[in-house]
Amino acid sequence: MSYGLALIYGVLKVINLANAGFLMLGAYVTWWMWSTWHVEPLLAPLVIVPLFFGVGFLIEKFLVRRVLGQEPIVSLLLLFGLWLVLQNLAYTLFTGDTRSIETPFIDSSVHLGPIQIAWPRIYVFVAGVLALVALQTLLTRTQLGRAIRAVAQDRDAAKITGIDVDRVMGIAFGLGIALTGFAGSLLSLLFSFNPDFGRTLLLKSFCIIVLGGLDSFVGVAFGALALALAEAFGVRYMAASLQNLISFVVLVVVLVAFPKGIAGMIRSLRRA
Amino acid sequence: MLEIRDLVVGYGDVGVLWECSLHIERGEVVTLLGANGAGKTTLMRAISRIVESSSGTMTLDGIDITKAPSQDVVNAGIAHVPEGRKLWPEMTVEENVLLGAYPKRARAATYETLEEVYALFPRIKERRKQIAGTLSGGEQQMVAIGRGLMSLPELLMLDEPSLGLAPIIVGELFESIRAINARGTTVLLVEQNVMGALQVATRGYVLETGRVVTTGTRAELLASDEIQKAYLGL
Ligand SMILES: Nc1ncnc2c1ncn2[C@@H]1O[C@H](COP(=O)(O)OP(=O)(O)OP(=O)(O)O)[C@@H](O)[C@H]1O
Ligand SMILES: [Mg+2]
Repeated sequence: MSYGLALIYGVLKVINLANAGFLMLGAYVTWWMWSTWHVEPLLAPLVIVPLFFGVGFLIEKFLVRRVLGQEPIVSLLLLFGLWLVLQNLAYTLFTGDTRSIETPFIDSSVHLGPIQIAWPRIYVFVAGVLALVALQTLLTRTQLGRAIRAVAQDRDAAKITGIDVDRVMGIAFGLGIALTGFAGSLLSLLFSFNPDFGRTLLLKSFCIIVLGGLDSFVGVAFGALALALAEAFGVRYMAASLQNLISFVVLVVVLVAFPKGIAGMIRSLRRA
Repeated sequence: MLEIRDLVVGYGDVGVLWECSLHIERGEVVTLLGANGAGKTTLMRAISRIVESSSGTMTLDGIDITKAPSQDVVNAGIAHVPEGRKLWPEMTVEENVLLGAYPKRARAATYETLEEVYALFPRIKERRKQIAGTLSGGEQQMVAIGRGLMSLPELLMLDEPSLGLAPIIVGELFESIRAINARGTTVLLVEQNVMGALQVATRGYVLETGRVVTTGTRAELLASDEIQKAYLGL
């Protein structure tokens, strides 16, 4: 989900407040296919990724593009509104009841010496890493990926070079939504959810991205790691209910100390 | 090949170009001269369709490009090497150059063209893994020209390529421009270095506050009083 947010911010310079909604829908689509058609939840991303990509591409084309280049508040409001629409859509379609998915795989776990780890956690971790590797490969090894980065770095230079900037932005938005839907599908294996799912994760994503620097994917991965560590240590010394507070505190500290995030810090160290 | 008629361009309410007309024939090196702020960069940006024109027409080989999207202009064969190079500073040299082949017309030949560009500028081949933002000014200019050539242009537009380069590098640069033209690419060259530009150019235009005031062949321009006074300090 953080990757999706970072990709969209990097290319369109728009903060996708509707991201939590797509995360939630990714979870619901997985659940719905499992409960009505008995589709194996692990296979749901095969449907979700292309479907969400297409939806994202169209949303960029018909909604977001109209507000690009205007004051940031306009796109923030548009996408916040979209989140509310998605949430209410989920309330209408799926009611407000809490849902969860149960399959033998989800309840299975493995013993590694004294510790017991649930299989779905291992699966989600591996899938997350693979998604990062795939995204990184796309962005560095293909012309389309390079064009996405080019538009993120300098839109005018991209235009002059003959890159269809509008199309690239649509693809980047679609990819961001697809990644978020993928994340939602994975998280539905671990957690139960309702239409409000993703709200706290949105906050955490911001924190991770700010930690990592707004347009560096390796930075985002490091940001996620740093936040996970801070939270893991934090809960040892304070009530678990305050866990989300840690995101906030880290966010504020980082914004004050390194406005350009970890990637910016590394970069300035390298230059120095 | 490129024919511009009565082009009017402005930024917001401020007019910059007034009824500019010029034409470029295949195989020429045409230079565009003029003081700072005359509108040379604006004219190139109008041709690339980065800025809108409010009236006038532009045709490339008879095809109207006045309202074409910028990617179509590049795909029709016009490459623009912008003022200040406009590389993507955080990508490698090779990524910068490769992106020049993004337009459809150039995709199939990407790696052949890359070898040709490297042959023309061996320096950027040596530095292909380096981050573009860390190159010297001269090297960055070569990357920018290389990126332009990757789209297999018929017309290459260069906006002040010698800006900020040491004299010895400028000499090499003009040699490269001559070599590019000798291989059949038409060139439109904006230069502050008027002497240098008039040595490679076959013909030129002088722009003054957004209007074409003088035009002629290299010899005519070199002989004209205006040029001698205004630009050559004779
Ligand atoms: N983005 C812009 N917005 C508003 N005005 C602009 C913009 N770009 C250029 N201008 C104005 O347009 C006029 C022409 O600028 P332009 O850059 O085309 O000149 P130039 O001939 O390329 O000058 P130089 O030799 O300094 O590069 C100038 O008066 C400039 O201030
Ligand atoms: Mg200029």
